[in-house]
Amino acid sequence: MNEFLTQFLIESREFVEQATEGLLVLEQSPHDAERLDSVFRAFHTLKGGAGIVEFAAMERAVHAAEEILSSARSGKHALTPTLVGDCLACLDQVIRWLDVIEQTGELPSSPAESRADDTWLAEMLDSNPDVRARVTTALQFIPAPDCFYQGEDPLARVTSLPELLALEVEPVVAWPSLNSLDPYQCNLVLTALTAASMSEVTEHMQGHSGTCEIRAIGTGQIAPQDWVLPSQAREILSAQRDLLAHATPANFAGFIASAGLTAENVLRSCAHPEAAAIVAQATQKSLAESSSDSLRISIAQLLSSKPAALTENARPSVKPEAAAQTLRIEAARVDALVRLTGELTVAKNAAGHVAKLAQEEGNALAGVLKERHSVLSRLIAELQESVLAMRVLPLRSVLQRFPRVVREMSANLGKPLKLEIEGDDTEADKAIVEMLFEPLLHIVRNAIDHGIESPADRAARGKPSTARIQIRAARQGDQVLLEISDDGGGIDLERVREVAKARGIATEEDLRSMSETDIIDLVFAAGFSTAAKVTELSGRGVGMDAVRTAVERIGGRVSVESRAGHGTNVRFSLPFSVMMTDVMTVEAGGQMFGVPLDAIVETVSVPKTAIKGIGAAQAIVLRNRTIPVFDLASVLALREATPNDTAATIVITTMAGHLGGLRVDCIGERLEVILKPLDGLLTGIPGITGTTLLGDGRVLLVLDIGELLQ
Amino acid sequence: MTVRLTTEGTIELEGSCSSDEAEALLQHVLATPNATVDWRGCEAAHTAVVQVLMAAGPKILGPPVGVRLEKWVQPMLAANMPK
Repeated sequence: MNEFLTQFLIESREFVEQATEGLLVLEQSPHDAERLDSVFRAFHTLKGGAGIVEFAAMERAVHAAEEILSSARSGKHALTPTLVGDCLACLDQVIRWLDVIEQTGELPSSPAESRADDTWLAEMLDSNPDVRARVTTALQFIPAPDCFYQGEDPLARVTSLPELLALEVEPVVAWPSLNSLDPYQCNLVLTALTAASMSEVTEHMQGHSGTCEIRAIGTGQIAPQDWVLPSQAREILSAQRDLLAHATPANFAGFIASAGLTAENVLRSCAHPEAAAIVAQATQKSLAESSSDSLRISIAQLLSSKPAALTENARPSVKPEAAAQTLRIEAARVDALVRLTGELTVAKNAAGHVAKLAQEEGNALAGVLKERHSVLSRLIAELQESVLAMRVLPLRSVLQRFPRVVREMSANLGKPLKLEIEGDDTEADKAIVEMLFEPLLHIVRNAIDHGIESPADRAARGKPSTARIQIRAARQGDQVLLEISDDGGGIDLERVREVAKARGIATEEDLRSMSETDIIDLVFAAGFSTAAKVTELSGRGVGMDAVRTAVERIGGRVSVESRAGHGTNVRFSLPFSVMMTDVMTVEAGGQMFGVPLDAIVETVSVPKTAIKGIGAAQAIVLRNRTIPVFDLASVLALREATPNDTAATIVITTMAGHLGGLRVDCIGERLEVILKPLDGLLTGIPGITGTTLLGDGRVLLVLDIGELLQ
Repeated sequence: MTVRLTTEGTIELEGSCSSDEAEALLQHVLATPNATVDWRGCEAAHTAVVQVLMAAGPKILGPPVGVRLEKWVQPMLAANMPK
């Protein structure tokens, strides 16, 4: 994907988010002028971006929405929920387009779109059969709404087209009542047919604001808009070409460089970045070859030929270089930094070991080494902290998607809802923020679908007809708390008991001894779902157990409180940051274990006979080194005898410079996991450094190689 | 002043009507909704002025002096005439 498109994608997504957020606010308070301005600007910038990458369909779609907002801004009409809906629909389409661009790296071109494009042309030709034979060029011109302020007179421009044959002028949006008409907002679509050539028409229409489509008619074929350079640009370019002919060896390099740069700038300022890139290449080539030919030919070609896909429409808005307060950095680069910091920690630990060895051996340098090591330790800890802080995101980036979700569900289910979000500026690690959407969505869907009663039921219970859902986030020490509460009916304990019994999650006896909290907690049990009917919204086969698994996988906890008739409160407590550890899974004695990847040197498969007994122990010889081998299953007391296979799979590990082999049954996959230290009963089990949850909810014990090999 | 309300209640457009006069024309049309617009003396009219005529759809007395107005704008206004 070219750089322009990449930038366009990033920016457009930001503006779509900004616009969506603003529109939802506007729906509630349509008179928030500041918000309206910001939404309008977002749409306007989106349109500008679409213009720069020459994505006409998006430009038109966004333009239409911009028109709506523009009239709302000028007070021509109110921004009704229907209009907000239309604008949101437009953004949905934009998101779909952006997704296509992201996947394919190209601007989408749907056949439906191009057909729609040509309707105006067909209609225009049909309604003017008398001139049909003479038409060579057709034009549809939608001047920018504010073009009058720029001193433009679109009608005069079009009526003065050479050899004009037919003209139709229509309002873009139906005329409002006269007393709310803004005479200085251009609301016109001008469609014209002429007998002039396409290049004449293009020349004539140069410098307009708004959108203009020019089509060549004749053989019935519709050609793309011609390549045209503004006359001043042509003059500058030809001056450079002439200059180059006079380049002398004495001033050669300077000549080429300055002519090349001038040409490049001219092309860039007429919105032909591709052409500018061609010139830049030619300049380099000319400099390398010490001959002005490449550059001269390249400029001459640009002056005469018509490169495809380069049009005049888009003018880049020249933005002053703002002082960069923030940098956009690819997430992958930050992740690489986090990984490197992790590796640095490992290296530091090894250095610590060396310092200890030196001390034991009474080396004179031991003291200094230890001192240096502690400085290193402190610095690396600080580094780790700052690196992790770089991955921090506000929860807003996930929470801002909810107003939209709630709005839609509210409409679909006919339950009036109000969503309140608090503390969306609370920050957490990117990995945590990014995984939150699905579990949160599930909780919110559950709340709306099952928790909140129908308006009639609410009225019967004396509750306000508009239900309330609150999402509150807050930082508490190194934890991030997130609460989702609703004022619905709460969890029906009786129903939970019934379902738990019916689905074999708990026995009658169990249930009797359980507290209310324990019973409510059953909703997190695998295979539990109280949805009487499976709706489109929740109950897609993913239960609350998936929510709990997802949250626990990143080291968080979920709990739920409920008061019958008053509502439900789901609480996530999440770690602020996570450190990912790479592990490789291995199987031994029918169980799966994780081995930290930084402890693994290599894995080898050797014939069983290669394992030799040395005293009570076993070892293999690998590349002239004797490496002790332990059978993992026996070490962990999972079985007595080693299996009788012909080949043995051995994971060669290293710990503080010593190599050791672990014989395993087979090697699994490589995973990036969040390691949780052992707690509760498991604390202090030797040989296990921590646990992690696998994607399927199983617990993976991660081995402490150092302890195992001792 | 090239847009003015005559004593007979007709709105006259004369000479070259610039964009500034769109507002004046709109005010006249609003004040006298049934007034006829007489643009027989009009040589040129800015898009903004024509736009007001399109939106208001008054009875128009022509043809205008301006060639382009006569050839292109007048038929277009007639085609867009409400009712």
